[in-house]
Parts: sequence; C-alpha cells; structure tokens
Amino acid sequence: MNQWEVFVMDVAELAEGQDIELTIRTLNPGLHKYTYKRVRAQVSSDLKKFPDQLQVRLGRGQMSKSRFSIKVLGDVQRMPAKYL
Amino acid sequence: MAAPRSNREFVEACIKSGDAVRIRQEVDWDNEAGAIVRRACELEAPAPFMEKIKDYPGFSYFGAPLSTYRRMAISLGMDPASSLPEIGREYLKRTNSEPIQPVLVDRKDAPCKENILRGADVDLCKLPVPLVHDGDGGRYVGTWHAVVTKHPVRGDVNWGMYRQMMWDSRTMSGAVFPFSDLGKALNEYYLPRGESCPFATAIGLSPLAAMAACAPSPIPEPELVGMLSGEPARLVKCETNDLEVPADAEIIIEGEICPDYKVEEGPFGEYTGYRTSPRDFRVTFRVNCITYRNNATMTISNMGVPQDEGQLLRSFSLGLELEKLLKSQGIPITGVYMHPRSTHHMMIVGVKPTYSGIASQIAQLAFGSKLGPWFHMVVVVDDKTDIYNWNEVYHALCTRCHPANGIHIYRNAPGTPLYPFATPHERKYSIGSKVLFDCLWPLDWDPVNDVPTTVSFKSVYSQEIQDRVTSNWTAYGYPPVK
Repeated sequence: MNQWEVFVMDVAELAEGQDIELTIRTLNPGLHKYTYKRVRAQVSSDLKKFPDQLQVRLGRGQMSKSRFSIKVLGDVQRMPAKYL
Repeated sequence: MAAPRSNREFVEACIKSGDAVRIRQEVDWDNEAGAIVRRACELEAPAPFMEKIKDYPGFSYFGAPLSTYRRMAISLGMDPASSLPEIGREYLKRTNSEPIQPVLVDRKDAPCKENILRGADVDLCKLPVPLVHDGDGGRYVGTWHAVVTKHPVRGDVNWGMYRQMMWDSRTMSGAVFPFSDLGKALNEYYLPRGESCPFATAIGLSPLAAMAACAPSPIPEPELVGMLSGEPARLVKCETNDLEVPADAEIIIEGEICPDYKVEEGPFGEYTGYRTSPRDFRVTFRVNCITYRNNATMTISNMGVPQDEGQLLRSFSLGLELEKLLKSQGIPITGVYMHPRSTHHMMIVGVKPTYSGIASQIAQLAFGSKLGPWFHMVVVVDDKTDIYNWNEVYHALCTRCHPANGIHIYRNAPGTPLYPFATPHERKYSIGSKVLFDCLWPLDWDPVNDVPTTVSFKSVYSQEIQDRVTSNWTAYGYPPVK
C-alpha cells in the first residue's frame, strides 16, 4: 500500500466515482518522500475501496480531516518532451 | 578579525564565539531539523550546526545563519558585541567604497566541484533537502541561497534569494515576484520569446555572499561581496551553462527556467510569520547538473514569526539602502531603521524637520524606489527621537501623529503576494497599499506656545539635579541601573 497526499483548496475537488487528474506527492518513507507526480486517479471516501491511501491538505497546508482511498490509473506527463 | 570567506569558516567562527552549537546526534530532515532551526530563531539561540542527518551520511545542516546581530557582526569580521549602529556604519562604509571585481578561478581550485552529478545521476533527493515546516508544499531546496542568472541583453548578473521547492528529482518550483530583477528579466525577455533562462542555485554560501543575495542593493552582487569582505569574490564557471558561481559554495544546482511550463509551488511558511500565498503554478526550474563539496553543508533558513535571518538581514539592508537613497537626495535625515520584528514592513526615519512636507517627500521616495515593494509603512520622527529605541518611536507615533492630518495613504502601489493583510485580488496581482505616519510637529505651529514640551527625566530637570539623582540612585535603595 502506498501513502499519498494532495493539496486542494476545497475537498469537493476530489470528486468520487470518476477519473480525475491530481498532483499527488508520495508519503512513503525514503529519499523520495514528498516528491510529486501528476496522475489520473479515482478516489473514494471508502478507505477500503482502493489499494492506496490519500491524505488531504488545504491551501495553507492545514490537514483536512477527510481521508480517501485512491487508485492511480496512470501518470500524466505535462512537461514538454524537450525538458525530459 | 577577517570576514569569513566561506560558510565553513563562518560556522567555525560562530562555534568559537558561542554563537553556534554543534549537534552531534542524528537529526531527521523530515521536520526535526526545521523545528530545531525555528526554535533557535524564536529564542534567539545560537545557530544549530547539525552534523548527522538521517538518510544522508556525510552531509550536514547549518540553520539560522544570520538571525542575530551578533552573527551578522561575525560575518563582517567585527566583534560579535558590536552595536547595531556600529554594524550599520560599517556596512555603509564598505558599500560606499570602490567596487571590487570578482576573480574567476580554475575549476580545480573550486571546492564546489568536488562531486559532480550529470545526466541520469542528477537527483535532488540525493541532497538532504529538508521539509522545513510541517504542512509546507514540499521540501525546500533554497531557503538561504542565491539563484544566479544573467540578463540576456544587458549582461547584468543577478544573485537573488528566490525560494525553491523540490517538485520531483529534477524539477524545482519557485516564487519569483514580477518586480524582482529575475521577474523583470523573465517577463520582459524570456517568456515572450519562449526561451529557457539558464540558472544556477548556490547553497551554503559565505555569509557575505548570502547577505549580498538578500540585500536590495543596486550594486551587482559579485562586486558587493568583494566590497563587504574587502577581497575579490572567487567565482567558477558552471558545468552546463555560462554562469559563474561562488567557488567555495557547498552545493551548486545548474539548470534552466522553463518558459512554457509551470508546476505547483507552496504553500510555505513565510517571513511575515504566516503562510499567506496559496499553492499556485509558479516559475519552474529544470535541473541539469548538481555539484557539491565533500561533506557538504546545506544552509537552512526557517521563516516564521520573528526573528529569522530573512527578517533581520532584509530589515538591516533595506533600512541602510533607504538611508543612502535619502541622503543622496539631500534630505537631512538622522538615520533609518527597520525593526526585524516588523517583518521588514515598517521603516522608521529620523529627520531634522527643516521644511514642511518633508515626511511626505521621504515616504514618496521610499515607496517609489526599488525598495518600496518590500514594506508598506513609513514612520517619520524628528531628530530628537532615537530611532533604535522602540519606546521612543512608539511614544512619538501615538502622541504626535495626527489621526486626520498625519496619516497618508497611497493606493495602487507595487506590493507582494505575501502581505498577510492584502485581499486575495491584491495578492494575485502584487498590488500594494502604503501608509505614512507623519510624527513631526507641524512647522506652522509656534514652537514655544503650540508645540507641547516633552516631560521626561532628561528633558525637565537641570543637569545638576539629574547628576545628583543618578549618583545617589543606589543610596536611595535602588539596584544599580545596567
């Protein structure tokens, strides 16, 4: 199980039951903790529905009480190829 | 005592004088190091030199490098007990001297080249980048550093302290304000042309190089370092671009600023003592190469409530640069001081009030200058008020500033997105408002019959009475006055 975290201005941005794009950071221990990636994902307030866990922070870093499970469907590469 | 020429010399000097402590037990980069620095700032304690970092053998941290005036004095090679006015006079003397050009050294003489990561080896996570505050948007690579860039047409070199967050192993994002030198170069040149802007981030600088990167001086930073230290700054060419960086820096990160791509940055604990600016898509730095010294030390500034080095150093340099500006205009000021606890928002100016409107002239020069976006309050007091004594300034502000006639508001000025009081719209577009508190007695008042007389021990008693009371003070039963 992976631990992820997302920053949102409003928890309503985490729409359940549909594919959404999110910028998430890993909370897994190790050197790469807190690094980001852009993904397509599904989230659910049912913590057992998906394999990974998603923690939520608000715009100024406040921890939200809302918790989700998350399924990462795939990475989204926004960076132009010339920089890769 | 000579000014320390590197961060290492500075750490040793601070430990020797008791202004830094050596922490030998392991410290976690994930919040713990940041919390140590924050507490040291709030207690005005010695700077923490953390020798052992979890997950990162061989690296160390030096936190809160310049968050006290004692350490600022050490950085200038002065006695740590020097008073603030003494430090200020020394800064003015050195920065009014002849420019000292930097020298370019061979890469074999540059300690920052001892380790080089290129290509697939480039990974910011190989550096002990700390999570400075719990809840920050990321691990911050650049909190006490210099982002080196060069204007593509004029060739001006800029060292600026633009915060940089690690987004992924090769990407950083940062806050670059539109009124800053880098912000102007990006908006005027690179972004319209879609050209990448080469950059190099230097971390673990000598304290005077950090001071130069933080100071809003019009003097090019490499020359300013030389003027402050009395000897040429040692620079070396980057590995992947034409920029020149401090050869004795601990870590150099080279890359390009992407003109056509942005990633999220923030939130971050800021110098105002708040997290004000929200997470947003900001300037994106793509990393191509990392070089670093053996046993490299990463410097950490932990911004928050007073006092940290951002507040202290910016207050110091903003005040002194404004003093230079006002003197260059022939205004009879007695001094300029910005208390770090104002989080460099309140400028206090002492002036001999020789003509009407002088406070307004001072405020307009201050707000209209390059320094202006960094503060929004100017308090003008007379030449008899000690600008360094907050009790006197506070008394003048509360008693001499007329609520209707003495407070002047300036709207639609440049501001920063970090002003905690600003509306969301103002933050988004860097719109500021400014205020002048004119604490001068009006010159059209009769000085004998209209101007109130101050009632204090020093102003209402004869010298003979003052001397008698002072010399008998302990005989009256009081403890000695320190």
